[in-house]
Amino acid sequence: MSAIVSVENVTKTYHLGKTEVPALRGVSLEIHAGEFLAVAGPSGSGKTTLLNLIGCVDTPTAGVVRVDGKDTSALSERALTDLRLRRIGFIFQSFNLVPVLSVFQNVEFPLLLQGGLTRGERQRRVGELLQAVGLSGHARHRPSELSGGQRQRVAVARALVGRPRLVLADEPTANLDSTTGATIIDLMRDMNQRDQTTFLFSTHDQKVMAHAHAVVRIADGQLQARETLQAAS
Amino acid sequence: MAPSLGPARILLRIAFRNLFAGRAKTLIIGAILLLGTALVVAGSSLVESVDRGMRSSIQGSLAGHLQVYDDRSKDELALYGGMGREPQLEPVVDFSRVKEVLSRVPHVKRVVPMGIDQAMVATGNQIDVALEKVRADVRRIEAGERDDALLRHYQAHKDHVRRMVTLLRDELRAARALADDQLLQDRKQAGEDLARAAAPAFWDGFERDRLGSLEFLENRVAPQGMEGGMTIVRYVGTDLDAFLEAFDRAYVVEGQRVPKGRRGILLGKWYAEEYLKLKTARRLDKIKDARDFQRRTIAGDEEVARWVKENTTQVKEILYQLDPIQAEEAAARLRRALPSEERDLPKLLVQLLSTTDQDFDRKYAIFYDRLAPLLQLYSIRVGDTITIKAPARSGYFNAVNVKVYGFVHFRGLEKSRLAGVMSLLDLMSWRDLYGYLSPEQTEEIRHLKQVAGAQAVPRERAEAELFGGGGAAVESQRASRIDEAAVLARIARPAKAEDLSARVYSQREIDRGVVLNAALILDDPSRIAETARAVDRAQRAAGLHLKVVDWQKASGVVGQSVSLFRIVLYTAVLIIFAVALVIINNAMVMATLQRVREIGTLRAIGAQRRFVTGMLLVETMAVSLFFGALGAALGALAVWLIRAAGGIPAGNDQLYFFFSGPALLPTLGTTSVAISMGIVLLVSVLSGFYPAIIAMRVTPVEAMAADD
Ligand SMILES: Nc1ncnc2c1ncn2[C@@H]1O[C@H](COP(=O)(O)OP(=O)(O)OP(=O)(O)O)[C@@H](O)[C@H]1O
Ligand SMILES: [Mg+2]
Repeated sequence: MSAIVSVENVTKTYHLGKTEVPALRGVSLEIHAGEFLAVAGPSGSGKTTLLNLIGCVDTPTAGVVRVDGKDTSALSERALTDLRLRRIGFIFQSFNLVPVLSVFQNVEFPLLLQGGLTRGERQRRVGELLQAVGLSGHARHRPSELSGGQRQRVAVARALVGRPRLVLADEPTANLDSTTGATIIDLMRDMNQRDQTTFLFSTHDQKVMAHAHAVVRIADGQLQARETLQAAS
Repeated sequence: MAPSLGPARILLRIAFRNLFAGRAKTLIIGAILLLGTALVVAGSSLVESVDRGMRSSIQGSLAGHLQVYDDRSKDELALYGGMGREPQLEPVVDFSRVKEVLSRVPHVKRVVPMGIDQAMVATGNQIDVALEKVRADVRRIEAGERDDALLRHYQAHKDHVRRMVTLLRDELRAARALADDQLLQDRKQAGEDLARAAAPAFWDGFERDRLGSLEFLENRVAPQGMEGGMTIVRYVGTDLDAFLEAFDRAYVVEGQRVPKGRRGILLGKWYAEEYLKLKTARRLDKIKDARDFQRRTIAGDEEVARWVKENTTQVKEILYQLDPIQAEEAAARLRRALPSEERDLPKLLVQLLSTTDQDFDRKYAIFYDRLAPLLQLYSIRVGDTITIKAPARSGYFNAVNVKVYGFVHFRGLEKSRLAGVMSLLDLMSWRDLYGYLSPEQTEEIRHLKQVAGAQAVPRERAEAELFGGGGAAVESQRASRIDEAAVLARIARPAKAEDLSARVYSQREIDRGVVLNAALILDDPSRIAETARAVDRAQRAAGLHLKVVDWQKASGVVGQSVSLFRIVLYTAVLIIFAVALVIINNAMVMATLQRVREIGTLRAIGAQRRFVTGMLLVETMAVSLFFGALGAALGALAVWLIRAAGGIPAGNDQLYFFFSGPALLPTLGTTSVAISMGIVLLVSVLSGFYPAIIAMRVTPVEAMAADD
């Protein structure tokens, strides 16, 4: 089974004035369909950088990142955007919902960008997902009327609505208390199990990490061993 | 279909919701745009309406669409007068050539000859008028008539003259007390004549030599009459028939047109009102106008109150006009109408003229219905022959006597000084005043001089021949040209005995001669510029030495005032929109910066760059269009309200001219609405441009940043 994501010997160096900041230093990683993988590491270790490269919002300094079989360095800005739209879902640390849209409209948004679905199909799909994340009753609410955990559920629904092959979540629980954080991770795992959607999320929280199938540890821009966890069973 | 429709819909939705979310900002931007467009729409509608009004005023009353004049002229043509004096134009020697050449240019419908100038006119002398009545009586008495009414009127008319003479003498005495020796010396003869005419002995002996006494009064006393003033008349010498046909705004209000080919003058009605009318009546008119059209009152307005006061202190002018019988009649009428017990006419007049806001309209009516029929309201009447004196080109004064056939008004411009001060004079009289011989005449004179050789006509005889017998109407003093005139008199022999005022000139005679400028009327006023070029080509080809100007240029400062209004308006508009541009731009930049993470998120989850730039442009455009349209509607409403309220009243006679009537009724110009919307769109695109660039540069990475 081929990898959805393959990262080969990638380095990423940021330039801050004259000093070079090596965020990733020769990272290789393969992610396969259906995985529920956590990236764990201390602050500044390069988690966000790695996810950005995989999420096609940034390109590596050296090495190759392939998403869905495509080398991201070779794609145009428009093609990358399209790749994000159709293949990747994002869950952000700060939820990042569009404040002027209702819950329903936020979730519907990627479908509208993708196009191709009728109004009825969209409604059905959004409705199902809201049901799955437990927010059927809040479809007409504005994000500002929801709690943090509820907002992140909306974000999960939005990330999944376009039926992506890969969902990236950079510290999705960092702005939530640990109980709520744990339920969000469980929700993500349910989704992973339901649709076989691949998940990659980062965290530096041990408890959150415990909910993943596998963890790759990162420190100082370098990946360490990949561990398969008990909880994954 | 769906792939492009989906993003557009969500884009619009987000854009509009953002506008509502940032209500305060939206409203501020909107208010500025609203004001701006309202100003453009209302302002440019007003300016366009003034432009249209002036266009029709100027074109329809004097200028036509194009004007031509000699290109070697020192000054530029200024139909409404230059800076304090008439512009000096080189004469166009032969108008018929101009007419012939220019009439053939496509779209030129009419060519109207013109010569504008100012001259002095002797206004009627009240003593003359009174003496005329006495003479008419005397004529009947000498013929043997003897009925009672005649004799009674004869006595009254004589008494009237006697009272005037006495008044004159008293005035001269009073003046003497103040005057110096030199003046006394100059007026010695006058004083003696007046003393003689005022003496009882003169009147006792009147019946013994009626005609002799009359002659003495007419020749020696009347010229000293106080009313015999001079006023300046501004006139356009023209082919009167062609003029009245070409300028449809001109119409004769009293009297009639000058018969075809005759000499004659149509006095400007406005001019007559202002300068020839009995002062009391004129002031009453002004008070009425102030009250009816300018919302001023006698009680509340110093100037109006002053007019009332002047009317009560200056009743002498009226008394002076009335002979004893008329005076009694006037007193009786006033006693009945006012009503009043007063016996004294001067006091009755004061009662009539000391008006208040309450009784003004009633007393105004009494004045015109009861008193005015007994008075001569205008110092020049239709049917009078007036003497116009003007400095000719030679520097000498030329004078012509012309009959006043009527008064001329300019439709819609009845109260405008600029239009109404103009009188219309026949071209032949104008040429006499101007003092220029036609090329034909010059040529014939040259020819005749050669043929006649030394056989010069004696000067006296020449004059006699030139001016005919007793009926000379042209009293030329062109001493420098007298020989030519004499010769001319010989060649123009058929006219010799003829009364000039009765002579009918042919179109050829009218056309073949000097003019100063000519108005061109086009059949299609939208082709002014193009026709001007064609006219210029035609005159150049014919070697006419003409300068072609459009009506606006020809009307001098007056015509350019609209351009000035327009510049002021558009400067204001420019400033407002420049401010709007800066403010909108700033607001949008700030809003964009605040939304960087939102924009990054949209980009991260798959929105293309054009989606976010489109979203921002839609936001500015929507605000601009909405408030722009609202502003345009507001401007249109203002225009409509102004119309509904009867327009903007023309507070003074200049505005009357600009507005082409008593009020400016603005119409909503579709162009002004289109222009304003165009400006608004431009401003919104320009002000949305920079924020859109900022938005375009936002990368999806911004979405990843943590809250702080
Ligand atoms: N845009 C940037 N410019 C310069 N340096 C950067 C930039 N982004 C990240 N870095 C640096 O790269 C290194 C890795 O950062 P990264 O954000 O990937 O770490 P992280 O593991 O996500 O940390 P955290 O847990 O604090 O989010 C850090 O030293 C950081 O300072
Ligand atoms: Mg991070």
